[in-house]
Amino acid sequence: MMATSKALGDLRVLDLAGPIGLYCTKQLADLGADVIKIEPPGGDPSRAIGPFYHSEPHPEKSLYWFHFNTSKRSITLDIESPDGREILKRLVQKADIMVETFRPGHLDSVGLGYSELKKINPGLILTSITPFGQTGPYKDFKASDLVGLAMGGFLFICGWEDEPPVRVGGSQAYNMASINACSGTLVALYHRDMTGEGQHVDVSMQQCVAHALQWVTQMYDLQHRIMSRSGRLGVPLQECEDGWANMIALFDWDVFTSWLDSVGEAADLADEKYKDMDYQIRPEVRQHITEVTDTFTKAHDKRWICEEGQKRHIIAIPCNNAKDVLENPQLVERSYFVDVEHPELRDTLKYTGAPYRLSETPWMIGRRPPLTGEHNTDIYANELGFTEKELAVLKERGVI
Amino acid sequence: MNRKFPLAGTRVADFSWFGAGPYVTRLMAAYGSEIIRVESNTKLDGMRWQAPRKPDATPSYNISGMFNNFNPGKLGISLNMSHPEALGIAKKLISISDVVLDNFYPGTMEKWGLGYEELVKIKPDIIVATMPVMGITGPYTLWRGFGTSIRTMAGIDYITGNPERPPIGTGMAALPDFSCNPYHTATAILSALHHRNKTGRGQFIEVAQFESTVCWTETAILDYTVNGHIQEGMRNRLPHAVPHGVYRCRAEDREVDYCAMPESVPEHRKKDERWCAIAVFTGDEWKAFCKAIGSPPWTKEEKFATFLNRKKNEDELDRLVEKWTIDKSPEEVMTTLQKAGVAAGVVQDGEDLLTRDPQLKERGFHVYLDHPEAGMIAHDGLTFSLSATPGEIRRAPLLGEHNEYVYREILGIPAEEIDRLTVEGVLE
Repeated sequence: MMATSKALGDLRVLDLAGPIGLYCTKQLADLGADVIKIEPPGGDPSRAIGPFYHSEPHPEKSLYWFHFNTSKRSITLDIESPDGREILKRLVQKADIMVETFRPGHLDSVGLGYSELKKINPGLILTSITPFGQTGPYKDFKASDLVGLAMGGFLFICGWEDEPPVRVGGSQAYNMASINACSGTLVALYHRDMTGEGQHVDVSMQQCVAHALQWVTQMYDLQHRIMSRSGRLGVPLQECEDGWANMIALFDWDVFTSWLDSVGEAADLADEKYKDMDYQIRPEVRQHITEVTDTFTKAHDKRWICEEGQKRHIIAIPCNNAKDVLENPQLVERSYFVDVEHPELRDTLKYTGAPYRLSETPWMIGRRPPLTGEHNTDIYANELGFTEKELAVLKERGVI
Repeated sequence: MNRKFPLAGTRVADFSWFGAGPYVTRLMAAYGSEIIRVESNTKLDGMRWQAPRKPDATPSYNISGMFNNFNPGKLGISLNMSHPEALGIAKKLISISDVVLDNFYPGTMEKWGLGYEELVKIKPDIIVATMPVMGITGPYTLWRGFGTSIRTMAGIDYITGNPERPPIGTGMAALPDFSCNPYHTATAILSALHHRNKTGRGQFIEVAQFESTVCWTETAILDYTVNGHIQEGMRNRLPHAVPHGVYRCRAEDREVDYCAMPESVPEHRKKDERWCAIAVFTGDEWKAFCKAIGSPPWTKEEKFATFLNRKKNEDELDRLVEKWTIDKSPEEVMTTLQKAGVAAGVVQDGEDLLTRDPQLKERGFHVYLDHPEAGMIAHDGLTFSLSATPGEIRRAPLLGEHNEYVYREILGIPAEEIDRLTVEGVLE
C-alpha cells in the first residue's frame, strides 16, 4: 500500500488566480500537485481580505488567504514587465497546468496568451476562469461573487419572500466556478495523458452558476413558470431550545406523528389529510404544522431532537453554526479537521478537511499556506539558476 | 480510437440516482465517457417522477425535465438488483468498466455483493466512488438527508441571510447537490484516473457529502477557532465593499407566473421581481459609480466621502442607490454601471436566463434537443469550453433504452438469454 503517494504528485501548476479561482488551485495542491502561486511584488491582493488572525489586518494573517492557499508555494513576479514575462515563459516550459483569472485578452496583451504559451509548451493546459467566459458580449463585464450569483440565476431563488433576494454566505459563485474549473482541467489532463496534447479550458462563472439551479430553467422551458424565492416554505426550520432544526417528515408521517403523540404534542397532526403532499405544502398548513411541532422542539436542544428523530428514520437535521460543526460527533469521530502548524504565528490552526477521501492517494494539506515570495530562492536560484546578483537586480527593478 | 472526446475509452458503471450522483456522470458523459446508468423499474430513480413536465404530456417516467437535464448523453439499462441473477450481470458490466459510482445509503452496494473488496477481485484496477450523505463510518453513518439538509448541517445556512431572522439558507436550492458534491466527486475520480494512468492502480473514493460541503463554509471554522467569532449572515453585505447589495428596479408591464414550489399554484402577476446586484469595492469604483449615476448632490456629502463613512451610513446609502435604480430596468442599471467599470448584474430569473441573456445565447449555453417522449426540451449546456476537445450534450436515455446494446453488444449475452432474463424479471 503506497499510502503516501499523491494523485497529482507529478504535476507542476502555475497559479495566477484571484479569488474566483483560488479554490481550483487549492484542489490541485491538496491532491499533491506542486502549485506555485505567482503573486505580484508586494503580495497578492487577496491577502487583504478578512477575517484576520486575531483580527489584526496583515498580509500574512488573512484567514481568507489561509483557507484558499493550503499546500501551495509562492513566488513574487511582475509578469507585465519584460523581464517578468521572460521568467514566466521559462516557468511555463516546465509546467503542466496554468490557472489564470485575468480579464479576457489581458494575457494576450502582455504577450502571454494561449497561442504564445502553446508554442513554448504544447502540452500545457491553460485554465482561464472568468465571470462570463472568453467570448460573448459580456466578456469584459466586471463581476464579483454577488454579481455571479445574480447573473447565473441562483440569487433570484434565495431569500425570504418579503425581503430582497439574498446571497448565500461565503463566496459560492467563486467556489462553483473553481470546482467546475478543476474538473475541466482534469478532463483536459486525461486527454493529455492519452495524447500529449494540451489545450485551453475556458470557464464561465455565470455558466457554472446557471448549471446549479436544479429545476429553474426546466420549469420555465416546460411550464413557463418562473421559480421565485420560497423562503423556508420547502424546508422549514423548527425552533429548538438552542437554535433551529430542519425536519422532513413527508415520507414518514405516521412515525413523526406517533413520536409527537408519545409526548402528548401531536395535536391534530395525526389526521389523514396531512399525508397529502399538496395539502401539506399550503403555506397556512405548513405554518400550522410548524407551530404544533415547535411546542415540542422548543423544549429540547437541536442535537437531541435530531439524534432522536434520525433514530426513528425522520430526516432531522440541526442548523449548525461553526461551533456546532467543529464539535459535530460525526466529523470528530472521522477526524475531519486538520491541524496545521504556523511557526511564524507560534500557533497551530484548525482547517476544514478532506472533501474526498481517496484510499491510495489521500488528500492532504502538504504545507501551510505560503508567505509572500517564500519560495523565491527555491525557484529563482535553485531551479532557474539566477545568481544572487541577478536576483538583487530583479528585485531592485520591481520584477520580483 | 475516436479521440474526438477527451474521456473517450473510459466506461462508468453508474448506479447513482437523484441529483448529486447523476451530475458527476453528466459531466463525464459530455466529454466522451461511456456512462451506463443502471436503473430499475422496481425502484425508480425518484427524479423520473419529478416536476417539471410539459402540461399536455402523456404521463410517463421518461418526461421529467429534471431527470432529462440531469442525465444527458448516458446509456440507460434496467436491471433489478434484488433478483439473484442480477449480481452476475452487474459484475460482468463492472469487469469491463473503469469506474463504479453510487450515492446510495451506506451498505447498499455491499448488500448486493458489489462492495469494493468484491469488485477488486473482478477488476483489480477499478476506481470505485461512493457518495454517502454523512460518510461510511462514524456515529451518524445511517443519518438520512437531502441536499438542502447537508447545506443546513454543514453551516452554510447559518452564514446566510438576515441575522435578525432564522437562518434562511438558499431555500429550495440545494447548493450541495448541483455543484459542490458532484464536482468534488468528479475531481476525485478524474484525479484517480490520472493516478491509474501513471501507476496502473485503481482505488476507493469516499465523498461524504457533509464533509465536502463544510469545505464551502470557507473561513467560518478558522474564524471561530482563532478569533472565537461565530460567523452569521450579513444579508447582501460584505465587510470590504460598499455599496454592495441587490436593488429593486422597475417592474415590467407584462404578466408572468411566479411559482414558489414546482407543484404549487402559480401567482399570475406583473413581472415585478426585477432587481440588480451592485458591487463597489475600491475608491476608484466608487468615483466611477457616482459619475455613472449622474453625480446627484448626496454623493458629495461628507457622510459618504470615505469608505468608513459609507460603511457607517450604509442603510441610508442603500436607500439612495435604490432611488436611482427603482425607475430603471435592471438591464439598464447593469449596462450603465458596467460601462463605467462598476460590477453590476441583473438578478436573472428562469425566463431571463433561457430567453433573454445575450451572453448565454452567444456562448450556446442552453441546448435544445428532441426527446422521443418529451419533445423539444432545453438542457443546461457545459460550464467550460475545451479548445481542442469540446464536449457535447446528447439527450437522456429512456428507462432501459439501451438494454439491447449493452447486454447484447457490450456484454455479449445471447439474444435468447436476454429474452429469458427479461421474462424472469431480472432486467426489469
